[in-house]
Amino acid sequence: MTQRETMTSPLLPRASRALLILAFLLLIFHLVVYLVYAANLIAFPFDYDQGEGFELVDTVMFSRGEWPYQDTEAFPFYSSNYPPLYHVIAAPFVWLFGPAYWYGRLLSLVSTFVTAGAISYAVYRESQYRWIAILAGLAYLASNTIYHVGPLFRQHISMVMFETLAVVLLAGVNEVQNKARRRWLLIMGAALIIAAGYTKQLAVVTALSAGIFMFIRQPRRAILWGLGSAAAGIAIFAWMTWATDGEWWRQAILANVNEIKILQSLALFQQWFGLHGFLIVPAALVVVYELYFNRISIYSIWFVMAVGINGAASGTWGGGDSYFATAIAATCILSGIFAGRTLRGTWQFRSNYLSRLFIDPARRFAPQLSVIALIAVPVLYLGYGRAVLKMPTNLPIFEQIAQVFQIYPNAQNGFYDSARTQDGQYAAGYAAIGHLTTAEDITAGYRIVEMIQADERPSITEDAAFNIVAGREVITNPTQLLNLDLRGIFRGDELIGMIEEQAFGLIVLRAQFYPEQVLVAMGQHYERSETVTMNGFEYIILRPKT
Amino acid sequence: MWRSDFTFSKRLLGTLLVILGLLAAGGIIAVDLLDAGREGGIGPAQQLALVVSIGLILLGATLIPLGHDPA
Repeated sequence: MTQRETMTSPLLPRASRALLILAFLLLIFHLVVYLVYAANLIAFPFDYDQGEGFELVDTVMFSRGEWPYQDTEAFPFYSSNYPPLYHVIAAPFVWLFGPAYWYGRLLSLVSTFVTAGAISYAVYRESQYRWIAILAGLAYLASNTIYHVGPLFRQHISMVMFETLAVVLLAGVNEVQNKARRRWLLIMGAALIIAAGYTKQLAVVTALSAGIFMFIRQPRRAILWGLGSAAAGIAIFAWMTWATDGEWWRQAILANVNEIKILQSLALFQQWFGLHGFLIVPAALVVVYELYFNRISIYSIWFVMAVGINGAASGTWGGGDSYFATAIAATCILSGIFAGRTLRGTWQFRSNYLSRLFIDPARRFAPQLSVIALIAVPVLYLGYGRAVLKMPTNLPIFEQIAQVFQIYPNAQNGFYDSARTQDGQYAAGYAAIGHLTTAEDITAGYRIVEMIQADERPSITEDAAFNIVAGREVITNPTQLLNLDLRGIFRGDELIGMIEEQAFGLIVLRAQFYPEQVLVAMGQHYERSETVTMNGFEYIILRPKT
Repeated sequence: MWRSDFTFSKRLLGTLLVILGLLAAGGIIAVDLLDAGREGGIGPAQQLALVVSIGLILLGATLIPLGHDPA
């Protein structure tokens, strides 16, 4: 009879199992909410999150064999600031279905499931605990951040997928004895990191993490493979810079260096901890454990780097809570490892000055601690499930659930989001999305499309969707113009000249993320004719002044 | 270090972290000393970086006593 068995009544393991099942059901509920939201977005034909339309434009351009990194001083004043891979992957859908949002959103959704699967696999490989592995994967999908970014036509979440796959592949690579298999894993890991980097620049954190991990374990191998990977990445970079006459460098790198607003970073750090704290604490404990009592894993290095660097970068213009997505994936893996090891009782502490100070005196409480763990581990996932709660409160079934648990909407269209206060306040930089769209939103979108089609002249629309659906050319990418302007590398003479000549039939503004001089020209030569509300946002319709 | 079976010990890693932390902290302070024309002293970002640097030094110092344990 083990020590744990002597300490526990037969009820305790049953209670633990019941709590684990409850946690599983709660996270399955989150999964259902996520699927409902994703289905709603996939059916929505316009921009939901600002910027989706421009990612669709990039995809369409790649499908035609064109680069989206263009000179923004010349008509149509359009350029992308994102790397190409996500759009290249989506490009075949343009050949089959034409320009549409649904396939990009579907691809993103699938990528979150792949990431969740990789997290589960990593946790199972480390802990051999199937239930915890499943909970860890579901925990990733339940995060408020992953929920609202997951099914968007945006490249960020695909980057997280490539990053996670790379890290999971490389985690045990140094221990693989078979040379051919080890080489294959290293090639795949390096390729996935390059893929992540060419999906979004933020993946540099994962490249650094993998490099540090490899260097600590085996410096020679790290340097040889690091040089090889860097050479491959730089070769692609140089080719793209050459093929785009330097616009790739100018648009995707120079224009993307933005100042950090430290207060926004701090607010988002606070929010991230408030929502994910139940998993962050055990994840941090695994990092401390590995630092002092075991070998440092790639997961710990990845966690620290993603939290530190991406967390700080979340305060940049264009940043936001999505910058924590990589850290959330790392958190889910490490907390899963913590939970699995705790329930299996497989923690091992090397003898050193810290174990003599802290661990040895606590050893006599091990039976009691293992009993507490039986309850504490499922409670962690239950607590997390409650902390990240978000759901519509005005749909059948959800409405009844909201009534029973007294959940009241605090966001648009009857949506409840635990990231917000009950009166709807949220941290600066948190994406104000997650609610479901309505039939009225779609009607409102088509109303703007009809206005564009009624004028023969081209129109500037801050969301690309209206021009795309109207079958018109997309003019400008406002946030990119603003990026360039903030770096002092945008003049806009030709665009401002066309605005002054009233060459555009309509200007549709949403957040007014244009450079100041462009907004001034718009204000001087165009006037508000009406406002259309779609998806909770007010679209201001400007027409030429008479 | 170039041997195929070489791996970092906790002591070596700790020493490197201490050196890195000292260099970073020294660099942050040097920015203020060398850039005499700049006003305002150590700003919030520098303060944060200084805290991280000191954290690295402390972390490194606690790893050094762990000796030859592989990192």
